[in-house]
Amino acid sequence: MNHGASSAVERTFSELAVGDTASSTHTITETTVDAFVTITGDRNPLHTDDAYAKTTHHEKKVVHGMLVASLLSELVGMQLPGKFSLILSQETRFKKPVFLGDTLTVTGTITQKSDATRTVTLALAITRSSDTVVSGTVVVLVEDTHI
Amino acid sequence: MKPFNDIVTEQLGIPKEKISDALTPADVPEWDSMNYLLFIGELEKQYNISFSMDEILGAASLGAVRALVASKGISV
Repeated sequence: MNHGASSAVERTFSELAVGDTASSTHTITETTVDAFVTITGDRNPLHTDDAYAKTTHHEKKVVHGMLVASLLSELVGMQLPGKFSLILSQETRFKKPVFLGDTLTVTGTITQKSDATRTVTLALAITRSSDTVVSGTVVVLVEDTHI
Repeated sequence: MKPFNDIVTEQLGIPKEKISDALTPADVPEWDSMNYLLFIGELEKQYNISFSMDEILGAASLGAVRALVASKGISV
């Protein structure tokens, strides 16, 4: 898997605006999936067993949806908003399966900013070429000051 | 426009039949600080309004939040 910036961007709440966007690119490999299986214990054969996966209508192993969705963590925690982020909620819709070797682009765009709660809402899109494989929203608290 | 009580149920987990303006965070296990932020954010989004931090920190009950929304010209 590829990773973006090595240190988190330090954007304060006042520096964020509706329309701000960021993206990163990741290629899902066997190593990525192995690490996810080790962490979560999800060894469902659709994700881990070639022979079984070939018997399904997918005809090959499908990458865990939650692995794909987890890519938003890097986007939010490292880029937008970055260092001062704390994710409060997320909603994701899994629209298409992802396979080993797929290169995914994760894009987040701020669609709402609440001064009262010091939160921003980002629209999330994870795409493979022109296909959106995951879409969703994430609400992030920006803790650049103590409230 | 989504009804206020629907947002209360979705964000704070309070069944509609138990919603009362007298409810406070002490009465509702789901009404923690994180959920309150999400609740306020959803109200701002649904009704296209904005609160100040002082306004939301000063709202001590569900009725106070409802009054705050009403003060922005929204009928709830």
